[in-house]
Amino acid sequence: MTMLETLSLFLGIWLLFLLLAIYYLSQSPDGSVGRFRESVSGHLSAESRAKALLREMLTESQYQQLIKFGYLEIPSPSIDNRVYRVPGSGGLVKVYERGCAVMELCLQPAEPLPDGDVVVMHKLMIEGNEQEYLQKANHFAPGIISLRCQHL
Amino acid sequence: MTVGMLRIMSRRGDDRITWDSQKVEANDPEAMAAIGEAERIFNEELKKGGTAFKIEPGSTVKRIDKFDRTAEQILVVPRVVGG
Repeated sequence: MTMLETLSLFLGIWLLFLLLAIYYLSQSPDGSVGRFRESVSGHLSAESRAKALLREMLTESQYQQLIKFGYLEIPSPSIDNRVYRVPGSGGLVKVYERGCAVMELCLQPAEPLPDGDVVVMHKLMIEGNEQEYLQKANHFAPGIISLRCQHL
Repeated sequence: MTVGMLRIMSRRGDDRITWDSQKVEANDPEAMAAIGEAERIFNEELKKGGTAFKIEPGSTVKRIDKFDRTAEQILVVPRVVGG
């Protein structure tokens, strides 16, 4: 048996043991991989619920805009020619008036929410509570900050 | 069946409580318990700083401060802060 064949054999056995260990840990509710699996499953479930809520709350054209361009544009209910551009995956909300960027806003939930829920949150607050939305958000000049806001 | 729904946004997605509005009108004990629980959770979430919106199909979103038993759907957003 050559050196290469021996090495391949050992590597194969090691991989087999590794897979067996992962399998047994994932079967145990007390195992760390079990908890990891639960956490991943919980995250996926939260994301799918958020996606379902998003589909319910947006019109077809709004949803298509979000999918195609990665943002949702929400017209201001009280200021003429103002549009809020809400990113689909976190970040600052850009505010445009007559097509020109006038400011960027940072507002986030105090507890982390799935991305889809954050979009719905912005939409509801702009459409139903715009003044408080503007009061609570931090305002930035357009283009100055492009970093994604992290959850608190 | 006319269903009312309270949805609370959280890290798990949205938690929901539903009640049968017709049974509530008829004072059905089970429906009354469900709507009572929904109202309790609603008040609790608002005390924590959440904001509630009444959502009706084909109508504009309306912010509410009091639980509306006639609402088809109420969605509560958790407390928000400037980032």
